[in-house]
Amino acid sequence: MSEYEPSPGDSPYMNPYLAGVGLGLVLLAAFVLMGRGLGASGAFSSTVAWLMSVFAPAHAQASEYYQGYLSDGTHPLKAWLVFEVLGVMAGALFSGLLAGRVRLSVEKGPRVSNGPRLAAAFTGGMLMAIGAHLARGCTSGQALSGGALLNAGSWAFMLMVFVGGYATAYFMRWQWR
Amino acid sequence: MNAPLYKYGMFGDEMSLLIAFVIGIGFGFFLERAGFGSARKLVSQFYLDDMAVFKVMFSAIVTAMLGVTYLGWMGVLDVDLVYLVPTYLGPQILGGLLLGVGFVVGGYCPGTSVAALSTGRVDGMAYALGIFAGTIVYGESYTAIKDFVNAGARGALTLPEAFNLPWGVVVFAVVLVAVGGFYGATLIERRVGGAK
Amino acid sequence: MIGKPIGPRLALVALALGAVALFSEPHRGPFVKLDAQELGMIVGQEVDHVTPVELASWIVEGRSDYRLLDLRSPEEYAEYHIPGAENVPLAGLAEYPLLPGEKIVLYSGGGIHAAQGWMLLRAQGFKAVYAVLLGLNGWTDEVLYPEPSASDDPREKARFERATAMATFFGGQARTKAGEAAGDQPALPKMAAPVAGPAIPVAPRGKKREGC
Repeated sequence: MSEYEPSPGDSPYMNPYLAGVGLGLVLLAAFVLMGRGLGASGAFSSTVAWLMSVFAPAHAQASEYYQGYLSDGTHPLKAWLVFEVLGVMAGALFSGLLAGRVRLSVEKGPRVSNGPRLAAAFTGGMLMAIGAHLARGCTSGQALSGGALLNAGSWAFMLMVFVGGYATAYFMRWQWR
Repeated sequence: MNAPLYKYGMFGDEMSLLIAFVIGIGFGFFLERAGFGSARKLVSQFYLDDMAVFKVMFSAIVTAMLGVTYLGWMGVLDVDLVYLVPTYLGPQILGGLLLGVGFVVGGYCPGTSVAALSTGRVDGMAYALGIFAGTIVYGESYTAIKDFVNAGARGALTLPEAFNLPWGVVVFAVVLVAVGGFYGATLIERRVGGAK
Repeated sequence: MIGKPIGPRLALVALALGAVALFSEPHRGPFVKLDAQELGMIVGQEVDHVTPVELASWIVEGRSDYRLLDLRSPEEYAEYHIPGAENVPLAGLAEYPLLPGEKIVLYSGGGIHAAQGWMLLRAQGFKAVYAVLLGLNGWTDEVLYPEPSASDDPREKARFERATAMATFFGGQARTKAGEAAGDQPALPKMAAPVAGPAIPVAPRGKKREGC
């Protein structure tokens, strides 16, 4: 397991504006077909709620939070976002294979070893999960989907994501630069 | 045609899950194409030498926003039936800050971490495990923080409603901000990172 | 972006579309027409109403993303109304302050006034307008005094159990046997605060979690 190094066979990334238009059309399709936007973090929540209901059923039953995902009478994994995220996995893998970018590797800067990088990734995921729950959505559900619908809360949220990111960037240079 | 098709009962729940998978494929495909399976590419946004995150995100927002606007104008899409996440200003501001911090610390956001882990990035897998852990932390503390989470409810609120402006004016303003931002972002990239 | 003029070209397209969108009216324009075909379709597919049980579960869940309007007279409203309803006699509906984009749920005694109100609001350009099916009569029959099912289907049994709990929550009482005449029902509950029992089972909400 080594640092990800682009190799000569890799295709360059797509033009960001074209990729953005593509992403926007996918989002528009979700609006038109389903009347809802894209998401990601909700699929993780459904999975956690399901795991809780399997390994700690009494606890899941007593928790108002988990019941929000379990009480609809169907299997908690039979949720729209779970299937959407499975699609994201397939789509990303397809694109990665096309470009020759699928490799078991770690994304990091030159000055950090694997251990600290993975610990930071785990910590970042935790922070993100708590933030996404407070905000009722992540970058996909709030910023992207809500942004396109001119949702007031989404725009406030998006501004704060950039503020939080730029405020932290300096202290995380060891990881990336 | 009446859209959203699902809400007009054109297909049922089983079909909607299939559509979820297909839409997810499109989502994941373009995320990976844009380079968003790479944490280094993503965080470059915050070190100013590659602003692809901003460019992709705002191109997508402008595209979907114009699409919604025109389809609504033509009477094809009932914009009011598209789900709006309700606005809770306080929790959303704090949540946004946490997300921004988590973005730079972890290198991903939830959607991009899925793209990363399925293309073999071990740090993307660690990040996803972190999301599970964070979800449990949140779930266990939900009762304690419930009051804050539900504070400042403003319901489904759009910018045109909040500022009492016509929808089209806000749409045009967003396009101007996005195009201005693209121009500025390219200038900054060149200054900070050299010509890329 | 050097050597790839696609960015500026896309920007021009976006600016042009954005400028034209200045004149768009995705919500309410000054002239709104009723599209007879569309109306027929909406009515035919029954997306224009909510059932009393759906409304009851929204109230139990504490949802706040809709406005519930009672179109009957102030006297009838004072005697009994569905929790959370605002009293707007039909005559005053056109002037009643509602925000574009709000989800509006109407009910009257039977269904006729609600249907008229529905038409009125649709003509004014409100799109998310729904009527409570069979109005207060439907509410009484299905939520306050639900009828047990004659069949032994376990799903029907579970439904009735929820309905019984729901009826208690709203101050009503489930009927004891199927086919009991409506006239045997007790009078409408007094307008006291609904019993806020902590043990109300949340009705299945379908896969309606739409957030991220």
